[in-house]
Amino acid sequence: MTTMTQTAPLVRAEGVTKRFGSGEKEMVALSGLNLEVQEGEFLSLLGPSGCGKSTALNIMGGLLSATEGTITFSGEPMIEPRREIGMMFQQAVMFPWRTTLDNVLLPVEIFGEKKKDYIAKADELLGMVGIKDFRDSYPWQLSGGMQQRAALCRVLLHDPKLLLLDEPFGALDEFTREAMNQELLRLQAYSGSTAVLVTHNITEAVFMSDRIAVMSARPGRLVGILEVPFDRPRTPDLQTTNDFVKLVAEARRMLELQ
Amino acid sequence: MTATTTTMPPTPRASAPLVARESLWSRIRRGSLWISITTVAIMILLWEVIPQIGIVNRILFPTFSDTILGFGQLVSGGYWWEDLGKTLYAVAIAWVIGVTFGFVMGVALGISPFIRTAITPYAIAVQALPKVVLAPLLIGWLGFGSESKIALAVIICFFPVWIDTMVGLALPNANEFKLMQSLKASRWQVFTKLQLPSAVPMIMVGVKHALLLAFTGVLVAEILSASDGGLGKLAKEFASQLNMSLTYAVVLVVVIIAVALVSLADVVERRVVFWSEESRARKR
Repeated sequence: MTTMTQTAPLVRAEGVTKRFGSGEKEMVALSGLNLEVQEGEFLSLLGPSGCGKSTALNIMGGLLSATEGTITFSGEPMIEPRREIGMMFQQAVMFPWRTTLDNVLLPVEIFGEKKKDYIAKADELLGMVGIKDFRDSYPWQLSGGMQQRAALCRVLLHDPKLLLLDEPFGALDEFTREAMNQELLRLQAYSGSTAVLVTHNITEAVFMSDRIAVMSARPGRLVGILEVPFDRPRTPDLQTTNDFVKLVAEARRMLELQ
Repeated sequence: MTATTTTMPPTPRASAPLVARESLWSRIRRGSLWISITTVAIMILLWEVIPQIGIVNRILFPTFSDTILGFGQLVSGGYWWEDLGKTLYAVAIAWVIGVTFGFVMGVALGISPFIRTAITPYAIAVQALPKVVLAPLLIGWLGFGSESKIALAVIICFFPVWIDTMVGLALPNANEFKLMQSLKASRWQVFTKLQLPSAVPMIMVGVKHALLLAFTGVLVAEILSASDGGLGKLAKEFASQLNMSLTYAVVLVVVIIAVALVSLADVVERRVVFWSEESRARKR
């Protein structure tokens, strides 16, 4: 909307509409979404359930195709999943028959590359999130937070240009979730990836993002974009400042406007 | 940086041995083994005493010691090894064929909606059918030899493998499929790296079940068509001669084999699907 920057956006969505079903059972999940994701930024899609934020994310990742409108990645139309895009889901999605390391190396196998070329990188990432000692343990021996740490390593292994995060820490308890958000910001800054986070948590969206795309439900559409001007790296103290609280209130007001 | 890495202390769970299972020794110490031993001892004692005091006819219900004597007689007979071998051979062949066929059918139905729709009505019919009724038909087609025996056992035992494979392949949840899709995995990769490993615990259940069903099928066929020999034939012959201690001995052998097969299958299952119990308890 207001983001007229010099560089071409990494992702550009124009009039993206997604309908499920047909006839009387037709459901409009997402209606006419116009959105640009700039290279290197952290953007959140914030909204109540049913606002189409996950649908929008899945379309950006090439898992779903838009019914109407176009979506491009680096100027090319998105028609299928790409290696430069890494996705994280609500659950860690660790395969219980694989060790932590083998789970992290799963993309290497799928891409048909040599595992040994990536072991050092995987170990480095596991070390960065503090679970290197568990590289040979199985997922069911790890806590939920540790599993998501491993999932974070898996998605970062191939240095994705774009991270698509579908409420990745939604299933974790509040404390673990905050720690994981910190971890995510740290690693996103380290890898230089662009990130799009889907969340229904206002505080989380304000804390994490450079910009927040506020969405509303039935049909899912974009209400407006909120700029979050705080410096990085951000610390939990930020959440107690007046400016932070004001932005949270602003986001809440946008959500309630509809 | 380092502060965040120390926020997650290793859980005690993670340092526990990978496959913690109750050992025989710990069962002895805890006393649960003694309960089993005592119940078995009481059963044997009752088995021994009741026919002797005449509550039941000892000729029709031989005592434990009669059965053991019969067992000795059975084992010392020259025909015994041949009959045992014939039965076990037929079970092994039927099991391998049944498991292979069941697995192939399960995969075909599990990955192709078209084949699933086409075959499901027949599958339901086959499942509902008491398959023993096919025995006379099979004997008519294939004769009294081991072929009809194996055929009946295959027909009886393949079904659980088929169904369990089909169900197992559908076990992965939406997020697991989405992860594979986001990595642009091919259909073959989704099958080998996600669906098949997910299905293995279910398939193992079917394979174990099939083992006992194959055994049942072979014994039924042997009892129906005695000319090929086997444990079923022995039981039938001894019973028709009213030689009950020998009949009991054969039944005892069948029980021992069945228990041994199940135990062996359990051990193999635990090795193959070591992750299953723990992960199932934590997932879904």
